[in-house]
Amino acid sequence: MTDLRPEPPGLPAGARDSLPTESEELGAIETGLRGAFAAYGYREVATPVLEYADVLETAIDQQLGDVYRLFDDAGRVMVLRPDITVPVSRLIATRMSDHSGPIRVFYFGRAFRPPPPGTPGASEVRQAGAELVGASGPAADAELIALLHRSLSAAGIGDLTIAIGDISLTEAILDGIGVPREIRTRLGRALAARNLVEWQEIAAAVNVSGPMRELLYELPAQRGGREVLSKVCQIAPGAEPACRDVSQLLTLLEQYGIAEDVMLDVGIARDWPYYSGVVLEAHSSNVGAPLAVGGRYDRLAERFGTPRPAVGCAIDLDVLNRALTLQGTNGDREASGVVVVDGLDHHLAAAESLRARGVPIVCLPSGQSDPAEFAARDGWRYVVEPDAQGFRVLDTRDGSSKTVSSLEDVVA
Amino acid sequence: MKPLTVCVPRGALLEGSVARLKAAGFDVSPFDEAGRRLIFSAPDGTVFVTTRPTDVPTYVQAGAADVGIVGKDVLIERQPDVYEMADLRFGECRMVYATAADEDPTSGALNRLGTVRIATKYTRVAQEYFAMTGRQAEVVKVNGSVELAPLVGLAHGIVDLVATGQTLRENGLVAREEIFESSARLIANRVSHKVRAAELDALAARLSGIS
Repeated sequence: MTDLRPEPPGLPAGARDSLPTESEELGAIETGLRGAFAAYGYREVATPVLEYADVLETAIDQQLGDVYRLFDDAGRVMVLRPDITVPVSRLIATRMSDHSGPIRVFYFGRAFRPPPPGTPGASEVRQAGAELVGASGPAADAELIALLHRSLSAAGIGDLTIAIGDISLTEAILDGIGVPREIRTRLGRALAARNLVEWQEIAAAVNVSGPMRELLYELPAQRGGREVLSKVCQIAPGAEPACRDVSQLLTLLEQYGIAEDVMLDVGIARDWPYYSGVVLEAHSSNVGAPLAVGGRYDRLAERFGTPRPAVGCAIDLDVLNRALTLQGTNGDREASGVVVVDGLDHHLAAAESLRARGVPIVCLPSGQSDPAEFAARDGWRYVVEPDAQGFRVLDTRDGSSKTVSSLEDVVA
Repeated sequence: MKPLTVCVPRGALLEGSVARLKAAGFDVSPFDEAGRRLIFSAPDGTVFVTTRPTDVPTYVQAGAADVGIVGKDVLIERQPDVYEMADLRFGECRMVYATAADEDPTSGALNRLGTVRIATKYTRVAQEYFAMTGRQAEVVKVNGSVELAPLVGLAHGIVDLVATGQTLRENGLVAREEIFESSARLIANRVSHKVRAAELDALAARLSGIS
């Protein structure tokens, strides 16, 4: 095959553009989320895209792994931030250390991860997130979960499931059963890999019997309502304090009126080690990936010199947008606005007064061929062409046309 | 809620999968009548999709299927982000390193060339196994009839899945090292595992023959 066309300009693996319709839909999502964040008194912050690698690595106590790395003038390694939670923790610990707390912030931004070779992953993830810093206990966890629920509902998600687990509950259960430390590390790895078969193989080697053996075996599959909690707490000795906290969290979520959409999931694991308490994932049955993840990380801020408990979540805006599209609520934008032929050279004052009233005016040069096609493509409602009497107006919504004497009369 | 969608591999695991689904109480008659159709519904509403074995994790990870049946070999090679819910204990086989039966060229190649050349469908498995055992290897990706490669000098040995060993024997090869044992696994999408928790747990128990 011979093709003499120049090769189209490519993009790095995982990078992609956004066209106007998608951008408008993301804009609508952002408006919904901002409304929910504002209703709980969260205020916006922003951090830079570039961070020092060693600063983030000290904070999370492990190597960053696959991230985009570059060097500054002095040869110090910088990264494109692979997540926003850690930078926001840095911001709060260093810039807001004199704030008496609790501190409530939200952010919109992009996190950067090179997609693994051969996978279609995106290299930039658009995120929104909220952090509640300087408050601990079930009440703070409940507010964050309620905020997440309200945010995703405001964005339009109709079938929300928020799965919550608790690292300290899982630890307490394993303590109660008497699982040795080295086996626990292996169990943790199996759980992070979501490998329940391996979990059971490791669990089979632990020397316990009876109901405790069964509980250990089935622990990652324990998900459901309050009954899960009473079951595990009856069997595992010493887990009562952790169970009380989770039980209180569930009571608070009932008062928020969202308990129906919350499920307890003892087997939720986070592969980042900084989570210390509640962990959560938000799901819609329409998409195969979590809409949001989050949890409590009380030991993160101290890495930046200001110890403070914190709970937060990050919403993946691309997954959220996909869920809304599959749910069918991301419909076509309702046509509005006026396309004015010859509007680039004439009728400028009338156009300005319409714009001042909030009516989009889209100008075309005189002699533009097929302005109706132009309007249909970009979703504009009226097409106006000047004629001897004034203006001929086509309403693309119903195909009707009329003649008006002045531009202001197009939109009654 | 949408009907449960089950991804079933065409190929070596198909027969065992259908037998297991039947034993678990599913009406599997659509499989007999399916012919070349790739997707069909059982009378109880369950949707079955059939794909190439290596594509099963792809469909499940993306949520195009809630659950899937797939060999452990594919999971180790592909490392998908899915729940591995149950070992279904059929389709048992071994991942092995095999070379010519008359003389093993491995140590000779490592001594003289510094590296041994491996033909395989499982490039990640081969690379990681030889790295782990401290030997340099050049891994050549082939898509089928792997046993041919050492016979015509494409490679010194192969890394491949062996059930009975008959294909190896017929081609004058012998398994030298076992890398891991494989069997069929039930995998689940991350979201389905939460949103359809009870349904999937019951399915896992039925397919494992526990209830």
